Amino acid sequence: MHLVVQACILGVLTGGVYALMASGLTLVFGVMRVINVAQGALVILSAYLSWALFTHFQVDPFLSVLIVAPLIFALGVGVQLVFIRSLRSEQAEELSLLITWALALGIEGVLGAVYETTYRATNTSYANSAWTIFGYQVSVVRAYAFGLCVAVLVLLYLLLARTRFGRSVRATVQNPSSALLLGVNADRVRALAFGIGVSTAAAAGAVYGVLYPFNPGSHYDLISRLLSIVVLGGLGSVAGAVAAALMMGVVEAVVAVEISPVWSSFSYFVVLVAILLLRPQGFFGARERTL
Amino acid sequence: MKLARIALAIGLVAALSTAAASSAAQGSRASSTLKIGISLSLSGDFSDSGKAAMRGYNLWRDVVNAHGGLLGHPVKLKILDDTSSPTQVVSNYQNLITKDKVAFVFGPFSTLLTAPAATVANRYHYAFIEPAGGGPAVFGEKLHNVFFTQPAPIIDSADVFAHYILSLPKSLRPKTAAYPSLDDPFASPIADRVRTLLEKKGIRTVYKTIYPAETTDLAPIVSKYAAMKPDLVVGGTQNNDAYAQIKAMIQLRFSPKFLFFSNGPNDPAEFPSKVGPQNVNGIFSSGDWFPQSKAPGNKAFVAAYAKKYGKGPIDPTSPEAFAAGQVLQLAVAKTHSLDNGKIITALHKGSWPTVEGVLRWNSIGEPQGSDLLVEWVHGKLYPVYPKKIALHAPFAPKPPWGKG
Amino acid sequence: MRWITPGGLLRGGGVFGLLAAFPFVERTDWIVNIGVFTLMYAGLATAWNLFSGYTGYISLGQAAFFGIGAYATGITFEHISIGSGYRPFYALPLIGLAVGLVSVPVAWVALRTRAMTFAIVTLMLLFIVQQLAFNLRSITHGSQGVAVPQPTFASNFDRPYYLAMLSVLALAMLICWYVRRSKLGLMLLGIRDDEEKARGLGVRVTGAKLIAWALSVGLTAMIGGIWGYYLFSIYPESAVDPLVMIGAVLMAFLGGKGTLWGPMIGAFVLVPAQQWALTSYGATRLYLIAYAGVFVLVLLLLPRGIVPSLADLVSRRRFRATDRPDVRPTVERVAS
Repeated sequence: MHLVVQACILGVLTGGVYALMASGLTLVFGVMRVINVAQGALVILSAYLSWALFTHFQVDPFLSVLIVAPLIFALGVGVQLVFIRSLRSEQAEELSLLITWALALGIEGVLGAVYETTYRATNTSYANSAWTIFGYQVSVVRAYAFGLCVAVLVLLYLLLARTRFGRSVRATVQNPSSALLLGVNADRVRALAFGIGVSTAAAAGAVYGVLYPFNPGSHYDLISRLLSIVVLGGLGSVAGAVAAALMMGVVEAVVAVEISPVWSSFSYFVVLVAILLLRPQGFFGARERTL
Repeated sequence: MKLARIALAIGLVAALSTAAASSAAQGSRASSTLKIGISLSLSGDFSDSGKAAMRGYNLWRDVVNAHGGLLGHPVKLKILDDTSSPTQVVSNYQNLITKDKVAFVFGPFSTLLTAPAATVANRYHYAFIEPAGGGPAVFGEKLHNVFFTQPAPIIDSADVFAHYILSLPKSLRPKTAAYPSLDDPFASPIADRVRTLLEKKGIRTVYKTIYPAETTDLAPIVSKYAAMKPDLVVGGTQNNDAYAQIKAMIQLRFSPKFLFFSNGPNDPAEFPSKVGPQNVNGIFSSGDWFPQSKAPGNKAFVAAYAKKYGKGPIDPTSPEAFAAGQVLQLAVAKTHSLDNGKIITALHKGSWPTVEGVLRWNSIGEPQGSDLLVEWVHGKLYPVYPKKIALHAPFAPKPPWGKG
Repeated sequence: MRWITPGGLLRGGGVFGLLAAFPFVERTDWIVNIGVFTLMYAGLATAWNLFSGYTGYISLGQAAFFGIGAYATGITFEHISIGSGYRPFYALPLIGLAVGLVSVPVAWVALRTRAMTFAIVTLMLLFIVQQLAFNLRSITHGSQGVAVPQPTFASNFDRPYYLAMLSVLALAMLICWYVRRSKLGLMLLGIRDDEEKARGLGVRVTGAKLIAWALSVGLTAMIGGIWGYYLFSIYPESAVDPLVMIGAVLMAFLGGKGTLWGPMIGAFVLVPAQQWALTSYGATRLYLIAYAGVFVLVLLLLPRGIVPSLADLVSRRRFRATDRPDVRPTVERVAS
């Protein structure tokens, strides 16, 4: 029992980080019907930036979020304006899938050329410390990372729920054409939403390097997890993504200690297939029409 | 559609004419330089090791050319990138052998690429001296032309640790053991070998598991075996999972009496920075090569390496590749021939001194030596067993984290 | 068979006749080797097109079945002798049939989702199969991989593999050609244009999609089987490789998705170009960046691919010449 509770704690803490990355991915889809396959690569890019800031300038990774996130935000807005906006509308969805895949390969290639393929890890002085709470070990960095991700998610929620920009985003998600009629500047909303979507990857990426070692190829595994999270949560639903991420974290951690680590990520896929059988649109998703 | 036909026709003509042009070019080649072909992973997952192998090969080329080449022919290396893909490696060796008509080939990096590459070399009756394909998949092909230039097949590389444990008096030996291993051809089979050897002598296995390569989170596994408090932990690992396991052990404040990881702690440059220099003491690992090793010609190799590439740490892949060159050089000198067939026959007999130690092989290319056991003592990595090559005595039990 | 036109017969026969003659004229092993991989990707792209190009459902998971085909061949001939070396080729149709049938329930689950969700679910299928290849150690030997026995073809070792790949490609083209002109093809194109409407008109959309899926997957598995037998070593990470998938999809897009000849032309352009770039400039680290660059350029400049773009250009010329700019045939017709 002790082990299961320990695993659940770990699962929730891990799930929180994935929730942040996935929320940006699903937000971007909701606003502009674009699956950003480069989200994983952007997490890794941010992890490298934060690693470089820590190694060369001793900037704490939790502070470097403030530097990395705006940079990636600008990159995201740029990508949207240069590549994605220029796609022809009839095939925009599937082409954007492929173009962001190409972007992911490009980022991997650049990182490989600059940093080689050696695994890196951001080793802060407190990287190995842990608190003991009621006999359970809670890793300090994981707790901090979880805290940061929750904070960013709350900010994201406030932005969407309480601001004018948020209202225009939600209007666009619900009904793009009437949003347009109501005077929402679609291009601006899209560019900003894409920027915000990828900055969640940046925020999570800055702390990713503290939790796990990474190299330029790490994005394949990340994106497969992120995509499965957003599908399970329902494409376009931020709340669904958060719920699915937490579920993934807990299922994987519990299966790893109770059955075998070999089957831990597989077990999550099984859950996913089972749920898709019952609800093809995921937890909170609306049923998609054909292309 | 007419256009489709035209496009195809153009494509075919282009393919045929480049083929003709290249075969014409092959006729008029100066013959005094001797070409050796190698496919290396210069991009993709294995690219760091691929580049380390390239440094070793290039250094050997410089050394051999400074001594007059092979039978008077200056050596030129033709290196192709295989992007770490087995499909590409097959194309590359076919290119090297049938297009570039190289005199010899050397192996690529990793078992994954060596196994398919060795079959291509075998098909054209080329000797396949290879520095980095030591997994069972390579030897499982039972090819007569393969020669692996490390002291022992990879899966036997931790046997030396089992021998050390069994050399201890019974009262000092661990009673219980856990074996957490990575699912990798270079990792889990190593721990399996040690487990078989130790179980036979009554050391009880309390936990064993294999975790997949994409497991970034090892905390659940470590908390599981930490709860069983084994005296000994043997991990068949690569570097990152070894670091992650140690981090988790520190967080869980679990310090076993004996701790062996097949990879990770044997990297003198990276290991202290990854787990903290205060946490390294008493951890065991094994390896085929160390800068201080007393193997024939190693001192000269280390000096030449520093001169060419600077005084940084040396990736063991570089001396492994260098040794592949040395083996060819010795075999050519012995047979006085550049014939692959004669070289294969010669290499199956006798022993061959290299920077990796004195090598000899069985009929399928498995080397018949043993690796070195190393341990961190007072913040430094020393070969500690077997005795005749030890630079420091092994010590146990391992001190608690942050001590000793 | 009223669809067979003399032009079509000449075109098909001519191209495949030339391709079949190629390894007998050109005997240099390394060129035939590049030919094997060119035909492999041409086959993969054509098979992908058969499902995704015609139905509009983007599948990113066909590589999973490439891997399954490779493993099925490898594991079968671990236990059965390869005879004179040709036996694995004869077994291919069986493997294709078996994999195609087995994949139907999987597809039935996946096809409950639409559009982007479908693309993602198929991509996950790829990772699931790769994990199974790692984890079902008693069957697949996990990360150790499966070693396939090697034949002893005396000379021109690569030729049988080349011809096998060519046969599967020819089969794939034949099926595509037939489907395009059959009722099934009409149903598939109906699904691509408006699935709800097609369903409303009484088209059995699920059945049509499943048939196209099974055909596409069966062909992919056969190609995987030849690949596994050609390399002799099958590992989870190389048999189920997202980059193989992306390569095939890129070729289909480059040549023209939804057209008959497009995917094949895409492969005939890209594979030799890639090999040439690797052997000439491979020692630089810019390979992946260049690959991504080409990818983006293709998508931005030729979003519909070579065949439709060229066809468009030609028909525009023709109609300008006859001065009837307002009546243009649809691109699809001209391209096929």
